[in-house]
Amino acid sequence: MTSRIAVTGLGLVTPIGAGRQEVWEGLLAGRSGFAPVESFDTKAFTTHLGAEVRGFAPAPWVRRLEAAALGRASQLAIAAARMALEDAGLDPEAVAPERAGVAMGTTSGEPREVERFDDRFLAGELEKVGAEFISLYPCHMIAAHVARELGFAGPNTMIPTACAAGNYAIANAMDLLRAGRADVMLAGGADAFSRITYTGFHRLGAIAPERCQPFDRNRKGMIPGEGAAVLVLEPLERARKRGARIYAELAGYGLSCDAHHMTAAHPEGEGAARAMERALADAGAAPEEVSYISAHGTGTPTNDRLEVLAVKRVFGEAARRTPMSSIKSMIGHTMGAASAIEAAVCALAVAEDRIPPTMNLEEPEEELDFVPNAARSHPVRLAMNNAYAFGGNNASVLLRKAGT
Amino acid sequence: MGRPVVITGAGAISAVADSPAKLHAELCAGRSGLKAVELFSTEGIGCHQAGEIRPFEPRDYLGERNLRPIDRTSRLMLVAAGQALEEAGWTAEVLAEREAGLVLGTTFCSVHTIAEFDRRGLQLGPSYASPFDFANSVINAAAGQAAIWFGLRGLNSTISAGAASGLAALGYAVGHIRAGRAAALLAGGAEELCFESFLGHYRAGRLCGSRGGAGEVPVPFHARRNGFALAEGAALVLLEDAEAAAGRSARVLAEVLGHGSAFDPLGTEESGAGAVARAVRLALEDAELEPGDLDCLSASASGGVETDRREALGVAAALGGRAADLPVTAVKSMTGEAMGASGGLQVVDLLGTFADGPDGGRLSGIPGLDEVEPGFPLGGLSSATRPVRVRRALVTALSADGHAAALVLGAPGGSG
Repeated sequence: MTSRIAVTGLGLVTPIGAGRQEVWEGLLAGRSGFAPVESFDTKAFTTHLGAEVRGFAPAPWVRRLEAAALGRASQLAIAAARMALEDAGLDPEAVAPERAGVAMGTTSGEPREVERFDDRFLAGELEKVGAEFISLYPCHMIAAHVARELGFAGPNTMIPTACAAGNYAIANAMDLLRAGRADVMLAGGADAFSRITYTGFHRLGAIAPERCQPFDRNRKGMIPGEGAAVLVLEPLERARKRGARIYAELAGYGLSCDAHHMTAAHPEGEGAARAMERALADAGAAPEEVSYISAHGTGTPTNDRLEVLAVKRVFGEAARRTPMSSIKSMIGHTMGAASAIEAAVCALAVAEDRIPPTMNLEEPEEELDFVPNAARSHPVRLAMNNAYAFGGNNASVLLRKAGT
Repeated sequence: MGRPVVITGAGAISAVADSPAKLHAELCAGRSGLKAVELFSTEGIGCHQAGEIRPFEPRDYLGERNLRPIDRTSRLMLVAAGQALEEAGWTAEVLAEREAGLVLGTTFCSVHTIAEFDRRGLQLGPSYASPFDFANSVINAAAGQAAIWFGLRGLNSTISAGAASGLAALGYAVGHIRAGRAAALLAGGAEELCFESFLGHYRAGRLCGSRGGAGEVPVPFHARRNGFALAEGAALVLLEDAEAAAGRSARVLAEVLGHGSAFDPLGTEESGAGAVARAVRLALEDAELEPGDLDCLSASASGGVETDRREALGVAAALGGRAADLPVTAVKSMTGEAMGASGGLQVVDLLGTFADGPDGGRLSGIPGLDEVEPGFPLGGLSSATRPVRVRRALVTALSADGHAAALVLGAPGGSG
């Protein structure tokens, strides 16, 4: 059994740019991806900001398939997948197709397709609904489209576990590689900006009017976003043999469920703590060994409070010393893509010993090290990527410096 | 390969029956659950039948707890999950002490809930959108609702792969138990019937009658089949670490011997059949078995014009000569294509065949199969229920979008 899995390629499409270099530099510089929503009219809403991906052209990335015949989340996912493969120096044609798989996470799949259906329904134009609704809308089409674009015929998993989905997909890819069911896995998440998602969080009063301020006493909520990230994962030995650059190793993961409430976290962060503990046990690591925590950190009052509670519970005294930041302060909450983007960021933090900041942090609610407002150079041997989701889902993934 | 995995409980609700035992009995009696849709109007749509669960009174199964925030998919799911937990002896007291998880296969969870949420916001303004509906608009809503309902604190995941979702979820769950990451996981799937899905599948040319042809012929492997009958349901089994199950003296319904999956990125008949063949070979390899070790096949076939052919060709390619006489059942001939629920329904029906006993096993026929497509390489097709002696069974599932999955089950009592 192959137990050690390497991260060898990173592809990202985010509200602050695309590609590993641009996104990483943007995050270290504290760049903001928030702007008035353009993809639909927000006149009827009390908030207007979103974190959309602007100026995205699928053409250079979508080569084998027809870009216009794909939903937006699939386009974003394919772009991230192609970027990740290029970053890994892997030619998709050179990989045995049946040994190459795809595992993707999402919250909503292709919500714009059901929105189009609804527009037609309300306009009395259902006769216009064509074959594309079923060929584009089901969320499994994201992973299917990535595989079709690249010709990958190995395991193909779509995990719609909402805002923790990226971590679930990475964990699944890790298991498939360890079980010897694939030689290369593309793992990540994708979500498209959506009226439905925006309406829902708006209705819950969860959207911040001006900016996203995770862990700040005066935080006013999250800002919905969109994006995609894909990580190239392969067995460490195989990666070394082909001389690949190794950003990090996947050290372990832990999953749990609160079994408490659909949209609110457990009041004592019980499930979140169990996921972290399980990930640490899986990696054979003690809490003190964690050098960076990539927080779920949405900026909603409840999430952040419970997340801090859970971290304190697991880390005890070490909680104060462990840097923990939320990049959602810059790119918003990219839903099913979020934890995949954050996992890529953890891989970069491990590779470069740099930690991106929590921006807009003026009055920290707790005495923890939230890496306020400026990136930091810091040795990162082990990074923990935390993600929480509707349904009470918790997922923690650990990334370790290669060869340590 | 890791720790052995067994099935210790089952739950199923479909248009055919509302319990696992009744499902197998009704299927063996050849009683179809397909009927004219009443849940919504099919006016203007050239297909009128479906596997609708009617009547469905959730209170009959779920008691007095508050069902208002829980939609149809989740209600079906709760019924099946409750049956599986009860049969396996995982009571509320046990669940409070020990962790169990859930892996749910579904295509949409509830596209109806999502669409209703959106339309209400559009019609009345965003502040009138329902927060209950929003909570259920995530595709993992049913899994989350079940976790809350039963107190399932372990891994909670949702897998989407169209009609292969259920088997994909089972494979995923088996992987977790084998690796020692979980000791008990409910796995299977759920899907509701709704207008949005029905119209969509019709316009995509997948429902029976949606591409013309004489009438609606949702008969698996039939020469004149012209699409599937869309359906709903939920079917789950409780998978347990074999050692842990033995430790609590649980009754074993079946052993999970192997699983495999593959994807067809090209969408041709050849590549589609190839993906099915690979999934079957991987499952057999995983189970360390040969085609000759199999005693029957529960096929994914639904009446789908392309998918049934790909499955027949792919299974035959993987099984070689054994395909000529291996007895085959296709429960979708009576349950309809229940998407996420389908794989679970196939598995639960086979548990019934195992429970019939080694000498009294029955394998349901495929009602209406009076003319098999010429040249199909599966010899064991029959319209009538047959006596079988089943120790090891193969289950296959494929989606119209390229997913293929296979599972090998063994009768309880060390058949593997």
